[in-house]
Amino acid sequence: MIAGALFYYQFHSWRNRLWMRIRRLRQPKYLAGAIVGGLYFYFYFFRGFSGARASPRGTHMPLPPEMQGFAETLAAALFMMIVIMAWALPHSRAALAFSEPEIAFLFPAPISRKTLIDFKLLKSQTAILFSSLIMTLIGRRWGGGHLLIRALGWWAGMSVFNLHLLGSSFALTMLMDRGISTWKRRVLILGAVLAAAAAIFIWERHSLPPFPDLENQNAFARLSQYIGQLFGSGPLPYLLLPFRLVVAPYFAATYQQFLIALLPVLAIIWLHYMWVVHSNVAFEEASIEFSRKIADRLAAARAGNLHAARRPKKASRSPFILRPEGHPAVALFWKNLISAGQFVSARFWLMLLWIAMVGGIMLRSPWMGSGGNLSTFVFFAAGMALAVSLFSGPQILRNDLRQDLPVADVLKTFPMPGWQIVLGEVLAPAVMLIGLQWLLLLVGMFQGEFMKFPVPLEWRLSVGISAAIVLPFINLFGLLIPNAWALFFPAWFHLGKDAPRGFETMGQQLILMFGQVIVLLVGLLPAGGVFTLFLLGGTFVHWPMLGMVMGAFAAAIVLAIEVGIGIKLLGNVFDRFDVSGELPV
Amino acid sequence: MDIAPPRIIDLPAVPPTIEVAGLTKLYGDFTAVNDLSFSVRPGEVIGLVGPNGAGKTTTLRCLAGIIPPTRGAVQICGFDIVRQPIEAKRRLAFFSDEPRLFDYLTVYQHLVFIARIYSVANFEETGLRLLEELEIADKRDKLPVELSRGMKQKLAIACGLLHAPSVIFFDEPLTGLDPIGIRRMKDSILKRAQAGAAILISSHLLHLLEEVCSHVLILKDGRKIIGGSLAEVRERFSEQSGGGNLEDAFFRATGETTGEK
Repeated sequence: MIAGALFYYQFHSWRNRLWMRIRRLRQPKYLAGAIVGGLYFYFYFFRGFSGARASPRGTHMPLPPEMQGFAETLAAALFMMIVIMAWALPHSRAALAFSEPEIAFLFPAPISRKTLIDFKLLKSQTAILFSSLIMTLIGRRWGGGHLLIRALGWWAGMSVFNLHLLGSSFALTMLMDRGISTWKRRVLILGAVLAAAAAIFIWERHSLPPFPDLENQNAFARLSQYIGQLFGSGPLPYLLLPFRLVVAPYFAATYQQFLIALLPVLAIIWLHYMWVVHSNVAFEEASIEFSRKIADRLAAARAGNLHAARRPKKASRSPFILRPEGHPAVALFWKNLISAGQFVSARFWLMLLWIAMVGGIMLRSPWMGSGGNLSTFVFFAAGMALAVSLFSGPQILRNDLRQDLPVADVLKTFPMPGWQIVLGEVLAPAVMLIGLQWLLLLVGMFQGEFMKFPVPLEWRLSVGISAAIVLPFINLFGLLIPNAWALFFPAWFHLGKDAPRGFETMGQQLILMFGQVIVLLVGLLPAGGVFTLFLLGGTFVHWPMLGMVMGAFAAAIVLAIEVGIGIKLLGNVFDRFDVSGELPV
Repeated sequence: MDIAPPRIIDLPAVPPTIEVAGLTKLYGDFTAVNDLSFSVRPGEVIGLVGPNGAGKTTTLRCLAGIIPPTRGAVQICGFDIVRQPIEAKRRLAFFSDEPRLFDYLTVYQHLVFIARIYSVANFEETGLRLLEELEIADKRDKLPVELSRGMKQKLAIACGLLHAPSVIFFDEPLTGLDPIGIRRMKDSILKRAQAGAAILISSHLLHLLEEVCSHVLILKDGRKIIGGSLAEVRERFSEQSGGGNLEDAFFRATGETTGEK
């Protein structure tokens, strides 16, 4: 009876949500988003099905037979790694992902623990089925074969992983209750993994051929052959067997093969299910905390500000001493720098280290082609990072009005005109971007000397100085655009827990992104024109470098005027902004 | 020690600190506040009461300059909230029912931030005194996420009072406070009123309003039903049916029933 009630709840929640989204299409902003989102989906996923596209990407050739085994082994090894991580990484107690209303209604209700787990597993199936569909559609671009087999293969793998994650979280909670700390457990698990890897290495050292020479042609084929041999001899095939069983349905070529491969997976799913329902671990308390976090994350993600979802765990130091006297906009700048500082954590530095390591490995790899000249790599990496930061920086760094719009009612009580609020809000991300870009410019200018084809110092200096002059204003201009979207179309910025979602929302985001690029390019046109005039003038009098620097100054002045006008206009919009009509205050 | 409710002194010479004339707020076809006029003098505490949807919060938000009024004028210490918002906002503080704080600023950093916004020169002394008074001085390096709801409320109050506002708006100030917190909040309100602040409180807790308010304004469907001193309002409705307290007056004024016969 209770299972029926839970099914009723799940079914009607899904149906009502769908109905609400259909009714919402009567509003032009959702209809526009739905059309753009639908077109994007159609062109990305579905156009190939109808055969309308004649490009080679539309043929979706299956993997060649010699690659099939390699891909399966790789998938099994990857799955094994993920499972090891699932045992090593978690640091919190077992928690089931319930929504806040589910906790409020179901936890005090006379429902057994097993039914709650069953409900959670049933609920997770919706997400698994949807993810399987999406992964199948994405995978057909680089895979091939029967789509239904691929989809069911994804479903089987994800279902096993979902159950395993739950079971392992219960087991880890039991270990915690027995006094085994997170770090002790991590050391034990990673120690065991390293010991196993060392044992396998010693075992196979003599039986394996030498590591292939990757400098030659067919390096990838040689490498895949070597990995195939590595995983095919000694104890590794036995270690990989359970994981290979789980991924096998995905790689089945025919329905008959699929059904044969599915049987062991169903057995694994059943064993996992028994493990989960018979684990005597209390999950209720942790689930309540987890649901709150999920709700916050959802709200922040729908607001387009995932960073805000991570509630700060410890206070950040003030970036500078903020005195009570002075321009009040500086207070907002100071506040937003503190906010940004929350994310410069150990994890952030580890990620940077990881990027540097990957860059270094890429540099040494034979596929770089250039022979791995470090200066060339750094020069181009700095240049690329700079270009990416110009377009993506304002989207990534959101410590501005987009972050503070949910507390716009608080900002509106401040004795500050709107333009000061807008200026104070955009300063922090602008300064961070400028700092990063100036650093990249310095790195690029310095590395240019050691490249295979060195750029003369005077040219590097001219370009660097010119870029350093205009970049602050380009960044400010770039940041004003998404802040303007947030003020003009707050509903599209999806604020609060009741914010809309779905592919029409994705369409709206695409419209905004497209608009951002158009406005940025149009906004840069006058400055670009002025710069070109100066550069041509300088070239005409045989002082092109001077012309470039002077052009940068002139362009900076034009951009500064545009930014000033933009801040004033946005300030007026903020002054008139009616929070009651837009925000859930 | 309890502080006595503000006395009602008839001082027509003292100009009102808050002056509202014909305030109207429309949301499309819906009228949230309809032609509301009243004034509050220094030291007066006005209770804004009414059933759900009466327009209390909208009124407070309009007065605080958070949302623009559709029609009418609001003057704070002689400054028009629409035409001279900076000067008007320098003199007011608004406390919403849910404390609105910045997640990533500590208690002390909130004070530093607000001090710069309002140019409070001696903020350290005033701020620490406020933290002591509100009993959160030991939490100065904590983030809001580490505070209980009551403590967050106290931090919001410390931030709001840092610049010694002449006008204070409270929207359901007692939500989430424990009995000690309620007592301290009542004392704090009365203390600010005695210091000359004009205070407007929106609340459903009529017994609280009876304890702290000198005047009361009853709203229904965005309109003023009655306004005046507590005694006047009670007297007006006791004449009709002999009732004695604000609760009875409220039910009679708004035409609501308690379900009792």
